[in-house]
Amino acid sequence: MRILVVEDNDLVADAITRGLAMAGFAVDRASSAERAAMALESEHFDLAVLDIGLPGIDGLNLLRQLRSDGKTLPVMVLTARDTLATKVEALDMGADDFLMKPFEQAELAARCRALIRRANLSTSGQLNLGRVRIDVGGRQLQIDNELVELTGREWLVLECLALHTGRVVSKERLQQAIVSWDQALTPNAVEVYVSRLRSKLADAATIRVVRGLGYRLEEPKAQRSVAQ
Amino acid sequence: MNSRLASSTSIRRRLLIFLLPPLTALMLVVVYVDYRAAMLFARTTFDQRLTDTALTVATRVTIESGELHAQTLAQSPPTSGIDRDNDFQYSIEAPNGNLLAGDPDLAAAPRGGSNPSYADIRLGGQILRVATYRLSTNAGVVTINVAGINDSRTGPAHFILGSTWLIGFIQLDTTLLLVWIGVHFGLKPLLVVRGQIESRSARELRPLDVSAVPTEVRPLVDALNLLFEMLEEAARAQRQFVADTAHQLRTPITGLLGHLEVMMREPDAEPLHGRLAALHDGMSRLAAAANQLLTLARADPSASLADKVEGVDLKSLVERVLERNIDRSVESGLDIGAEARRANVTGSPRLLDDLLGNLVDNALHYTPAGGHITIRCGLDDEIVYLEVEDDGPGIPESERVHVRQRFYGLPGSPGRGCGLGLAIVDEIARLHRADLTIVDGANGRGTKVSVRFPAAGGPPRPNAEALRREETETRVSSQGNSDQWMSIRSWSSDSRKLAGVPLAPLNPPPVFEGSGAKAGIQRHS
Repeated sequence: MRILVVEDNDLVADAITRGLAMAGFAVDRASSAERAAMALESEHFDLAVLDIGLPGIDGLNLLRQLRSDGKTLPVMVLTARDTLATKVEALDMGADDFLMKPFEQAELAARCRALIRRANLSTSGQLNLGRVRIDVGGRQLQIDNELVELTGREWLVLECLALHTGRVVSKERLQQAIVSWDQALTPNAVEVYVSRLRSKLADAATIRVVRGLGYRLEEPKAQRSVAQ
Repeated sequence: MNSRLASSTSIRRRLLIFLLPPLTALMLVVVYVDYRAAMLFARTTFDQRLTDTALTVATRVTIESGELHAQTLAQSPPTSGIDRDNDFQYSIEAPNGNLLAGDPDLAAAPRGGSNPSYADIRLGGQILRVATYRLSTNAGVVTINVAGINDSRTGPAHFILGSTWLIGFIQLDTTLLLVWIGVHFGLKPLLVVRGQIESRSARELRPLDVSAVPTEVRPLVDALNLLFEMLEEAARAQRQFVADTAHQLRTPITGLLGHLEVMMREPDAEPLHGRLAALHDGMSRLAAAANQLLTLARADPSASLADKVEGVDLKSLVERVLERNIDRSVESGLDIGAEARRANVTGSPRLLDDLLGNLVDNALHYTPAGGHITIRCGLDDEIVYLEVEDDGPGIPESERVHVRQRFYGLPGSPGRGCGLGLAIVDEIARLHRADLTIVDGANGRGTKVSVRFPAAGGPPRPNAEALRREETETRVSSQGNSDQWMSIRSWSSDSRKLAGVPLAPLNPPPVFEGSGAKAGIQRHS
């Protein structure tokens, strides 16, 4: 997984490139928008980490240029200015996520990983989550390259969680996902399917319950630093 | 007494004191002039009556065979002294000076040049007005004197004097009363200005509305507004400085924190781990302080005006804040959850996000591992509430007032924050006219911080582009359909985890093609 870090501040750029490299990414750095544009033109990157406050052409203009050139790679925007206008502008211009300085290396790495996963999911229809591979197109769950049998409802729940990996999916939403399959839905149907999925996933992936909010599919903590 | 009154600060009293002497003097002059005019009129009238009487008396004088005769007037016998009951006394003198009839005393009256002539004489202790008429006859000039008492105390002059006094007093009293009432009404617009000023908070420096201010007071209000403007400008400059500083701190802090995190994970740095962790902890505190200063500068009333006040869906807010704090609570071994019911308030989405973020941040910081944190919102008896409850050590009752003050740290508490968290919450709550209360958590354990909003706000009004965007995000994240997953974005926040916590164990970084293994190499620069 290759990431281009576009950041003019050497201290920050150095820390980010080292941190992301430790998290298992291949990292390149560009110190200006012009150089970033050249790099993205000539080589393939899975994601760009883009600082807004660049000298010369700023990050937002670079982003706009990229999107108008038809580049779809996920872009994580970094900024020291947390105004609502900046956020809205960045998202309008096609940023995929927004992180405010200062942030933690682990958080940046986790978010980058999630963005790349989602991008891969939308292009290849596959989600790789550590030892787990979820093939949305082929409706298959593989753990350590071994196929795991799922019932239709279990698959619907897993698919919904996988499509939002890294995010919390509300119980209502999971209910909606399976309601067409099973008209006579018991109130605790979601709990039942989540519980079955958990035992099938075992220690390869975690489905975390967030009280009052919903469920989140996670890579087990020990495997998180590996970018796959 | 008078000097004390004169130096009094009551406009009404001063006005009365300054008006009273000239008005009184004016009244006295008016009474005097009126009196003099009345007296003149009364005397002229009286003189006319005396002359008429003298002419009547003259008709009684006859000449018979060269002798003068005068018929005595029956109704006024010639007696000495003046009886007040009798209107007039008279005397008739022959040309030789002999008294023909009447009161001999009157004959002594002085005679003026004109005919008739008038004079005042003193007779028997009384002032008499005498009219002297000289009648030319064949026998010579007969002098007729008619006298009467012109008593001002009983005459029309007396009546006029009395009524002039009365009217003068009424005028004076009425004027003073009108002044008293007039001042009250004239100053009423000032009460409006006072109300405007009284209803302000210490940090509210908008100019006063001058439309209702009387012209005379306008300079004062203008001066006040100028002062407000200068204070506002100074406060704005200060806020701007704080905000700029906080912003500028962020980039180096990011770099330093990042390096420390990377170094802590390098095998070579194992012996230094303790010191690096301490450095990281300090740096995190610095970062938190910078963020909180920024929020505080933003929570300022005038600063928040720029922030659009809109309908805010608290349920979405709670879910958003909860979601971005999950990782931190997991790493701290805490259980975090929500009990969010539909509730809307009118306010600033940004500031309310900061408010809840700071409350959750506090709870995460002070609750030991194994604890539980619950974020709630909803509608309780027409009151919208937003609260964060934890089962940590709690805040002693005596400290609950102080924790709202800036830079106040709980004694003996593990200090990561710089004591701005609850000050920010307090400030934002006040901006939304909400009540902030700190009570014990359930079963007397921990802390429950509640923010209760005065009245339920309307449903969100999606007119601002920015807001519409945010609302779409929250709706999609909570119940949107799966096709829309690409539009789900995670917002970063001020209150993310910043404390130094153990990081995930490091696996050796896999070697990729290109420069991945040599991270940090600037291929394009």
